[in-house]
Amino acid sequence: MSYSAKTRNLYQAQLGDIRNAGIYKEERFIHSSQAADIEVEFPAGAEIMNVINMCSNNYLGLSSHPDVIKAAHEGLESRGYGMSSVRFICGTLDIHRELEKKVTEFLGTDDTILFPSCMDANAGVFEAILTSEDIMISDRLVHASIIDGMRLCSAQHDTFKHSNMEHLEEKLLLHSDKRIKLVITDGVFSMDGDIARLDEMVRLCEKYDAMILVDDSHSTGFIGRTGRGTPELCNVVGKIDIITTTFGKALGGASGGCVSGRKEIVDMCRQRARPYLFSNTIAPVIVSGVLKVFEILSSNTERRDKLEENTAYWRKGLKDAGFILKEGESPIVPVMLFNAKLSQDFSKDLYNEGIYAIGFFFPVVPNGQARIRTQISAGHEKHHLDNALSAFNKVGNKHGILGLTKEQIVAKYGL
Amino acid sequence: MYTPYQYHLKNQLNEIIEAGLYKNERVIVSPQGAEIELETGQKVLNFCANNYLGLSGNPQLIAAAKAALDDHGYGMSSVRFICGTTDLHKKLESKIAEFFGTEDTILYAACFDANGGVFEPLLTSEDAIISDALNHASIIDGVRLCKAQRYRYENADMEDLEAQLQLAQEQRFRLIVTDGVFSMDGNVAPLDKIVTLAEKYNAMVMVDECHSAGVVGRTGRGVTELYNIEGKVEIITGTLGKAFGGAIGGFTTGRKEIIELLRQRSRPYLFSNSIPPLVAAAGIKMVEMMTGTNELQDKLHRNSAYFIEKMTALGFDIKPTRSAICAVMLYDAKLAQDFAAKLLTEGIYVTGFFYPVVPKGQARIRVQLSAAHEIEHLEKAVNAFKKIGKELKVIK
Repeated sequence: MSYSAKTRNLYQAQLGDIRNAGIYKEERFIHSSQAADIEVEFPAGAEIMNVINMCSNNYLGLSSHPDVIKAAHEGLESRGYGMSSVRFICGTLDIHRELEKKVTEFLGTDDTILFPSCMDANAGVFEAILTSEDIMISDRLVHASIIDGMRLCSAQHDTFKHSNMEHLEEKLLLHSDKRIKLVITDGVFSMDGDIARLDEMVRLCEKYDAMILVDDSHSTGFIGRTGRGTPELCNVVGKIDIITTTFGKALGGASGGCVSGRKEIVDMCRQRARPYLFSNTIAPVIVSGVLKVFEILSSNTERRDKLEENTAYWRKGLKDAGFILKEGESPIVPVMLFNAKLSQDFSKDLYNEGIYAIGFFFPVVPNGQARIRTQISAGHEKHHLDNALSAFNKVGNKHGILGLTKEQIVAKYGL
Repeated sequence: MYTPYQYHLKNQLNEIIEAGLYKNERVIVSPQGAEIELETGQKVLNFCANNYLGLSGNPQLIAAAKAALDDHGYGMSSVRFICGTTDLHKKLESKIAEFFGTEDTILYAACFDANGGVFEPLLTSEDAIISDALNHASIIDGVRLCKAQRYRYENADMEDLEAQLQLAQEQRFRLIVTDGVFSMDGNVAPLDKIVTLAEKYNAMVMVDECHSAGVVGRTGRGVTELYNIEGKVEIITGTLGKAFGGAIGGFTTGRKEIIELLRQRSRPYLFSNSIPPLVAAAGIKMVEMMTGTNELQDKLHRNSAYFIEKMTALGFDIKPTRSAICAVMLYDAKLAQDFAAKLLTEGIYVTGFFYPVVPKGQARIRVQLSAAHEIEHLEKAVNAFKKIGKELKVIK
């Protein structure tokens, strides 16, 4: 009631600071389905442009796949629109159970529990299974949702340097007296696209009697020979105690996430995880779509194979053009520009060339590590990638950075 | 490593089972509605959904969702600020603001996330949050994630609120936080008095309208309408997952700068997908329906009044309520469970609630009324309550 001038001024000043720092997030309005070709209104009120999307998590091109849409239509017919209840009161459908079983089979785990999102899965899992006698040892670059989950958990917390196994080992030694030790990592790290060294981590966990949790949100469905994610790639299927992942990226992209792993852990989440107990689960229509996604993925590896080919083609094209990339195997391909303002200008110029890709800068990535994060999709055809490559070339030329080293770009634009 | 931990977890799970607190899920095989079908083949009347307006299976919402599937696809595979914002999201945000008479709205994947992400961006350790003791778990988690000083007042106790406000005078900003309707009792927060105290002690007010939006107030605008203080509350959070269609989704609506700052800083908004386009489209249709007529609210209000009147006449102990939640007090946890089980054999689906969801010795059956209920559904439920109530000697 007392929204005083003082309060309003304070919030306005904070917004002013965000704008002045050049980190204000402007949203672009999409008028079409999510796909390689999208129709975008940007800035607000501008004429709608047809652009190629190079920055979605639609890795498998399933976000607007006709079979998935058809399954969603059928879900609406057979199970209605909403459940208006949490799971344990009157919000559990047969198809929720079916999806939990399907995920368990796909990932090769004991059991699975659905959450409204992977953000909620990560926010709820730690507090449900750990106490102050235990320790969480997390990679320093894990996702924000894991950080929030850890903040809500009374277990002790420590970190290890990103993907640094010597440091992880040190920390495991240091905390050997704790009851439960849980090592926590992303499978694929979203900003760099690099992959966790799960084989070595599992070896260390076995040596030091620790458990391991992997957030495979940026890999389920396409990393590994049959798309089972980073455990498959690293040959440790069945050895990861807890996998969290999302249906909001490659697996149709609507919403929903899960915790999959040891039976008792999943069971404990069903009894104790707060976002599960106090919020609706995934809507039936979304469940129907995800079930169809798993059917598509289980029938063949065509989509993830095409994604792999597209990614190799894209990486080579950018490298040949003289861009500096973060090395890796995932479809996350960061084009390094280092300077925050350059990344924003670059993104705007790309948009004018019909290419939609966003610049990332501090605090999302470390200071002086600004970049355009491109994400490849099985929904991209050769012509999309060729068009995007020539736009990158043109804009790269305009800013005079092609073939330059990091030092040369920094000398030219600053950090 | 897992083996010793597995042993530990099994023990804990056994303790939960032995304490009678293990949550078993009943599997439903039909759309949500007044009548639903369970996996066992039994058809029952549902009196425990948050489907207050009976919209969960509404054909108009389903048609709107289908149309959006056809022109906006299934998923966005992105957070809002990268490439996950559609014209439907913007339209729904402005419709919700219009509906509540607020300045702007921000959508979330759930109201759990709206509440989880609202405090941290707005308040710092210099500020104070003064929270009702019975606020929802998601508010508690949001407060836990925020550095502000915490004050708590007894449920709807205005003397205690005033005392806490006095204690909080040394902080820079004060935010009073309350549920509109408290989900376990069904009582409405005394928002008129809260607003008066907020003025006196220079505090802002946030109200969670999850169980009141669509339900309370003549046209379903919630507790601000009930008390005639529309537009006077700084922050309203609410859900699309209960009365408003029941799928998923939540929102924060209120002052322009607050919403703008949340869009820049609120973690569940920045790091998680928004609602899919089909849910946004159904939400737009829902607000349009609400704006056109009060038919559903009127029917819900009639149903609630009827049910409460009949149950009170039978001699049941009902918590004072001004919402569509009717708490039938049984006090004993085992009795509440037995009562609910027997009602199910009579074709009435309700849930018994007991500690730790409600205080010890306060076990109850929470009945939730809906505009989807017809008079014969209500009669059948009342008769079943009468029969089991006599059988278990709860009433004479």
